[in-house]
Formats: sequence, C-alpha cells, structure tokens
Amino acid sequence: MESDGPAMDTTAAAAELAALDADRAGLAERVVQPWWYDVLLGLLVAGFVSSYSTHNTWIILGALVVLLAGLRGLMAVYRRITGMWVSGLRPGATQRAVRVWFVGYAVVLGAAAVFEYGLEIRGAMVVGGIVLGIGIALISQWWARIYVAELRGEL
Amino acid sequence: MTAVQPRFDSVVHMPPRLQVCGLLAAVTDMDFATVREQVGVSDSVLSKHVRQLEEAGYVTVRKSTRASRMRTNLALTPAGRTAFDAHVAELRRITGA
Repeated sequence: MESDGPAMDTTAAAAELAALDADRAGLAERVVQPWWYDVLLGLLVAGFVSSYSTHNTWIILGALVVLLAGLRGLMAVYRRITGMWVSGLRPGATQRAVRVWFVGYAVVLGAAAVFEYGLEIRGAMVVGGIVLGIGIALISQWWARIYVAELRGEL
Repeated sequence: MTAVQPRFDSVVHMPPRLQVCGLLAAVTDMDFATVREQVGVSDSVLSKHVRQLEEAGYVTVRKSTRASRMRTNLALTPAGRTAFDAHVAELRRITGA
C-alpha cells in the first residue's frame, strides 16, 4: 500500500512506534484497581443476588438500587484513582474474561433459581450470590491482568 | 478481522497528538489532567493539540462537574480510532515490523 503522506524514514517511524509502546507500558502501571475494589464489587453482586432469597420484591428492588449506586460509586472511585475509565466490554483479549463471567453468571444464577424457586430450597440464592460474588472478584482481577499484559505488548 | 489499511495521517502524526491518540486508544476515556501528566506537556500545549484533534473529528471533549470540580474528559471517536490504527499500520509498514 502506498502512503499518501510525506516521506518518513525507518528510524523515525521506529522511534514513534517505540514511544507509543513506552506510553502504553507506562499506562499499565496505573490501570490496575486496588484489591478492595474487587472485594466491594463482589459484595455488591453477592448482596444483590442473595436478596432474591427473601422472596420480597421491595427488598430485591432495594438491593438493586444499592447495586446500581455501588457500581456508580466504584466507577467514580476508579476514575478518581486512575484518571481514566476502561469499559469492561472493550474489544480485545479481555473479552475472554467477560465471556467466562457471562456464562458463569447464567449457569450459577439459573441453578440457584431452580433450587430456590423450583425445589423451594430456601437460601439457594444466597449460596449462588456468594459464588457469583467471589467469581466476579476473581474475574475482575483476571481481566486486569489480561489488560495489563496487552498494554505491555506481552500478548 | 479486517486488516487495517496503512495510511499516513498528518493530524495524528505530530508527536504530542500521536501520544494523545495512543493513550486514548487504550482506554474508554481519560481525564485531561491524566493525559497531560502522561504526555508531559503544559495545559496550553495540550489544549491546542486536543482542539486540532477535536476539529478533525478524532477526539470528543466532555466537561462535567464532579465533587464541585470541573473535569474534562477526552475520548477517541471511531474516526479517530480508525485514523490512529491506520497511522500505526503505516509506521509498521515503513519499519517492516
């Protein structure tokens, strides 16, 4: 493919690519969320899913409000700490972790709902909530590791 | 996946703008202050280059007030991402990488 721009020598182009790589590697140093971010995320998800065990619509709605407010708060905290926002659904290698989360979420939530509402085993949604809470915390850390590796050009 | 066509982009090419695009390509959006810190230029220099990127339709600038402080967020537009990817592909073509 012919370039329609000005002539640029190999050294200058290589220097620009190296500078871009260095910037991305520098970014990798500041994008990782603190451990308590994932703990709070896990607690929010566990709390919301567990609320279904009450079988009380108002409590479930209240838990949903707490979940949404909490997620908004976590987003604000992440922005304050890092000065940026990175969508969890961004294209790239991190999609792997997102797929695992969605499949895991559907399977665990479905199973817990069958036990709680189908077989009337009270508390099944609490167990499901705890599993999903731990799951999202671990997957969030995994997602961050993939993202950092991508920024460092290790993938 | 469609291969990116290498294309030199004179708007993206200037070093501060190339850096800004490179940072914004890796995130959803970034605070103006964080971009300035990462790029290592003054407010006025960054503002000038961001304005040029905005005029080219490559960057969106969103101002908001958070905790009674004015924040400016920068994000790459789809056109900006395409131009940046094409420019990087051109750099790789030149270097044979």
